[in-house]
Amino acid sequence: MSHDTHIEIKEEKYTITDGNKKWSYGLMIVGLLLTILGYFTYHPSVEGMNLTADDLHHLVSKRFWGNLLVDSYFTFIIATCAIIFVVISQLANAAWYVAIRRIPEAMSTYMIIGAGLLLTIILVNFYVLHGGIYHWAHPGVMETDPLLAKKTWYLSQPFYLVRLVLFTAFWIFCAAQIRKNSRNEDLVGGVENFDKNFRISTVFLVVFGFTFSMFAWDLMMSVDAHWYSTIFTIYNFATGWVSALTVTYLLVWYLRGKGYLGIVTDEHQHDLGKFMFAFSVFWTYMWTAQFLLIWYANIPEEVVYYKERMFGSYQFNFYLNIVLNFVVPFFIFMMRDAKRNRKVGYFVGGAILIGHWNDCLLMVMPGAMDLPTAISEHNPTGSIEIPNQGIGFMEIGMLLFFAGLFLTVVLKGLTKANLYPTRHPFIYESAMHDVGV
Amino acid sequence: MDTNKVILGIYNDPDHIYDTTKKLIHDGYRVRDVYSPFAIHGMDRVLGIKRSRLTVAAFCFAMTGIVLALTLQTYASYFDWQMNVGGKPSLHIPTYIPITFELAILCTAFGMVGCFFAVNKMVWGKNADIIDIRVTDDLFVVAIDIIPNKTDVAELSSILKNNGAIEIREREFED
Repeated sequence: MSHDTHIEIKEEKYTITDGNKKWSYGLMIVGLLLTILGYFTYHPSVEGMNLTADDLHHLVSKRFWGNLLVDSYFTFIIATCAIIFVVISQLANAAWYVAIRRIPEAMSTYMIIGAGLLLTIILVNFYVLHGGIYHWAHPGVMETDPLLAKKTWYLSQPFYLVRLVLFTAFWIFCAAQIRKNSRNEDLVGGVENFDKNFRISTVFLVVFGFTFSMFAWDLMMSVDAHWYSTIFTIYNFATGWVSALTVTYLLVWYLRGKGYLGIVTDEHQHDLGKFMFAFSVFWTYMWTAQFLLIWYANIPEEVVYYKERMFGSYQFNFYLNIVLNFVVPFFIFMMRDAKRNRKVGYFVGGAILIGHWNDCLLMVMPGAMDLPTAISEHNPTGSIEIPNQGIGFMEIGMLLFFAGLFLTVVLKGLTKANLYPTRHPFIYESAMHDVGV
Repeated sequence: MDTNKVILGIYNDPDHIYDTTKKLIHDGYRVRDVYSPFAIHGMDRVLGIKRSRLTVAAFCFAMTGIVLALTLQTYASYFDWQMNVGGKPSLHIPTYIPITFELAILCTAFGMVGCFFAVNKMVWGKNADIIDIRVTDDLFVVAIDIIPNKTDVAELSSILKNNGAIEIREREFED
């Protein structure tokens, strides 16, 4: 309604309420307790398969570190893709997103914690657990395994750590610069900071495109070091990107419900919803493309990846993945009114977030646990189900803990700047945003 | 429609035509349509245009495509002539995905183009009835119905003129 609505640009600041603190700390505490409960109640056993006390200890440890990797990675890519959303919109000279831009910016403040956690996990796995969930990092494996022989130069621990540190440091640096310029703009106005952000975004996006590939291979794909997929990166990016959009969408609803974000309307919400819908389909496309080729070609080295997931302990997660990440968003968010409705939005947003967390879980856990699902004399068909895998106390606990941590950091990030940029060149155009009837 | 005579107000500024249309509707005139070379933000709401039902049609066409694709593939590869391809099961559902997806899109695209032609009464050989050739370039036209014994043409003309119309004329529709 461009012509007659009076637009008032105000400086809005978010203040953290007691309710916020109660929820985010509560989630962290409950999550921690559940994780501990899960840690001590996990006793995998299969008849006919003799697991020694040592084996059990390894399995519990692998499950713990695998879960930690899943949640650290998931929250980290959400934070990273949030700033990538700002970068891409900036480069596209988009205007509609300007009113909600500070929310992905606040989400990106989590990146430094996420990167620290990832680095800790890798260091502990490499040097304390002698490989841990990364089979290829176990001593002696790279030298003796013919399938890994060609990957020796790439999968070396020092090179791996250098890559991880350099990539994440560069992303964090760019995100911090973008945030700084954006906040500066509120004070000085003009287009100088806009231009600066444009230049940073250009470099950031190009570098991100290449480095994210290696980042995803390193952290996720190398859990199953024998297996590889060329579409894996874009599939991971789709996961992070759609989750980042979903978190933004949910936070915008929440903040509007609390009376903040005066210039944001259902129109912005609708466009974010369209993005969620579109990229849920995009994720499905990537997922299907990866699955279909491997299923069809039926090459043993590749198929083993899906065998572990489609049959046995993780079967439920495998089908849950398709329902939550495709069926729910596709059929509900297809409707225009659903994207503009708070309750439906919360429902679909929650489904997408849990779905993509489950997707990350499915990428890591079967490979990390390295359960004896292979055909052996105890397990002639290779599909004996080992009880107590999949989603248990530890998974749920860790998810709640990370949800609490993420919320704490993001809400704190929101307090550091105005809730929408007051002097961005496109702010009026963004406030007038209208997708029509 | 109880009339096929309209008065056309021709404008060269989208803001002027927006304000005029708003005022005319407020004053109770019956605005038939507004013609513009590009979309004017908010005009759809001013004119009270209802949401298009094209999306519903698209969904139905897509479902048609999906059903067709699944029926054909299931019939051909399972019921009619089973083949063993690489040891796959005969009812190899994952391989149905690409064809189902493509046929859904094909049916949606063709169906929607067909709908578009039907709704706009476009037939091969029919000449376009453009309200004023200049709306295809840089001018904006608002068409107001002239209802016999009700619409005061002189007053209407003066409203149009006062709101920045560069030209006013009457015309008749054939239907």
